Amino acid sequence: MAVVRYIAGRLVFLIPQIIGIVLVSFLLIKAVPGDPATLMLGPMATPHTIAELRAQLGLDKPLPVQFLIYVDKLAHGNLGTSWQTTQPVLDDLRTRFPATLELVTYGLLLALAIGIPLGVASALGKRGPLAKLGGFYGLVAGALPDFWLALILIYIFYSLLGWVASPIGRIDVTVTPPHMITGFYTLDSILTGNWAALRSSVHHLILPVLTLGLVNAGPILKMTQATMERMLEADFSLYGRLCGLPEKLVIRRAFRNALPSVITIVSVLYGFLIGGAVLIEIVFSWGGAGQYAVQGVLNSDFNPVLGFVIFSALFSLVVYLIVDLVYLAIDPRIRH
Amino acid sequence: MRVMRREVQSVIAPADIRPKGAGCSDAALAARESPAVLEVRDLEVAYHVYGVQPTRALRNVSFRVKPGEILGMVGESGAGKTTLARAIMRVIPLPGRIERGEIFFMGANLSAMSDTDLGKLRGRDLAMIVANPRGELNPLLRIGPQIATVAEVHLGVSRKRGLEMALEMLRAVAIPDAERRLRAYPHELSGGMAQRIVIAMALICGPRFVISDDATSGLDVTVQAQVLDLLRKLVREQKTSMLYITRDIGVAANFCDRIEIIYNGEIVEDAPTEVFFSSPAHPYSNLLFAAFSHDGELRQKWTGSASSPDSDAVKAPCAYSDRCLKRQKRCFVEHPGLREIAAGRLVRCHFPVER
Repeated sequence: MAVVRYIAGRLVFLIPQIIGIVLVSFLLIKAVPGDPATLMLGPMATPHTIAELRAQLGLDKPLPVQFLIYVDKLAHGNLGTSWQTTQPVLDDLRTRFPATLELVTYGLLLALAIGIPLGVASALGKRGPLAKLGGFYGLVAGALPDFWLALILIYIFYSLLGWVASPIGRIDVTVTPPHMITGFYTLDSILTGNWAALRSSVHHLILPVLTLGLVNAGPILKMTQATMERMLEADFSLYGRLCGLPEKLVIRRAFRNALPSVITIVSVLYGFLIGGAVLIEIVFSWGGAGQYAVQGVLNSDFNPVLGFVIFSALFSLVVYLIVDLVYLAIDPRIRH
Repeated sequence: MRVMRREVQSVIAPADIRPKGAGCSDAALAARESPAVLEVRDLEVAYHVYGVQPTRALRNVSFRVKPGEILGMVGESGAGKTTLARAIMRVIPLPGRIERGEIFFMGANLSAMSDTDLGKLRGRDLAMIVANPRGELNPLLRIGPQIATVAEVHLGVSRKRGLEMALEMLRAVAIPDAERRLRAYPHELSGGMAQRIVIAMALICGPRFVISDDATSGLDVTVQAQVLDLLRKLVREQKTSMLYITRDIGVAANFCDRIEIIYNGEIVEDAPTEVFFSSPAHPYSNLLFAAFSHDGELRQKWTGSASSPDSDAVKAPCAYSDRCLKRQKRCFVEHPGLREIAAGRLVRCHFPVER
């Protein structure tokens, strides 16, 4: 019951948080120079038609009024229209946000699969070769630009070896995408039994996921290693050894104590990558939310940008809520 | 307690604690010639830091603890007390290293034992109680399972039986409302309570030897007295021997059968408790004694500071010579050995104090 009340309390706080985020991003976007009306009508437009369009778009009104209009529409679930795609932003994001989410989720899972074992191994064998590999890896993963790594991987696995599908989009153009349920092509094609789509989407996922995984394993590795080293030297680990507990058990208990820090870094990376994976999206023409937002910024298309900010903020807040619930479940000290 | 004791007795067979293979005959020999539960011979531990002269934390430390005896090891911070405790358990933190010496436990040479065999001894026959009890407990585990694991690992009992034994131990260390405490987490306990949990963990397998490293010094005086009473009772009941390491000479006076004073990594005095407190022989022992005394005159006499020595005369000095109030020329040029001044009384001093 206490947990339900806790969640309810957190959800209530979501609303002011969202309003704050919308206000700040609204002001920031309006501060960027560029007039959508001019861009929409092209170089041949007369000042008269531009003024007419501005009035139509509500751009002639004072800023606070524009903001209130936006918030009012937002309250009714209307994120406005993108003048580039000529579609409602909500519809655009409904397909594009899952695309990014699918990419980032698998990328993070791969990063965890690389980072945690390597981090634990480096913490255990402080002077061993694995520790050196871990240290080297952490350094390299922090120094390599992700788009550069993506290009290298494309060159090797697509151009030279031809093992994967062409790095364009989420699925082959000849294959019909699965009927949308979750928005994850892989999940949807499994749910609908569309094996051709599954095959194709997995092929398209391999390289971007590999890039994201390899790059983001770095911070996860570092965090795992540092926390694990601290926990292995903690008094309770030493006392476990003094009580003759087998080293395996001591390590397992130390890892359990290191887990909250790993979860923290994962939650931070998860929220960050929604927008942070945009270079990967561009390299692979992924058509995800990050790419959509960047195009919006470049073309003074405000609504997609604001829509993206709201979606990411909501997503981050939900992730943090889940993480706090996980902490609650695994650490008895927080329950008070 | 009764059920537990029976199990403990059934698992401790002499063959159990001897290392297999090589070294066994040595150990058997040592067992025959000494009835000591623990014997430390000529132990030397140094901390090596690259580019600096190694720090010798323990030098030529030798002592024995007889069955059922509580030996008090008293010294100030930095004297090497914790290093000694950890050297016996063989968990010296890096960059520390045992340079020389042997440690025999119930006839077995601990120094020659494999890590696996030693691991089987630790927590079962050779237990250690440490200070900072809350840090020693895993914050994510409930008290019950945490204590029970030790019994499960060493005695091979089931989780259910382990929890029963843990409950018996909690009652033995006088924890109120023991059933409820089994399900508590470490952060829900007071310091004194956590200290008792650590004691329960250390004693659950009915060890033959317990090392207490300054374990009660952080407690309130009243709680400390309770915990010490408890410890003495448990030690007597289980016929355990003990090495009681402390800074508090007053506690040692009431609690220990024999006192050894350690200074700068060396044992400087060794005497039965009553003899020690009636006439401490080493100047440093006298300083410790006077510092705790209510006798103002005695305090005045011993707690002053020594004038600085003539540096050119110093060659191989007594480690205490720079602080000693009774030093003479000889103290700066000749390091004193540990010598017997009466039956069972050892002192490392050229000019022991007489009364």
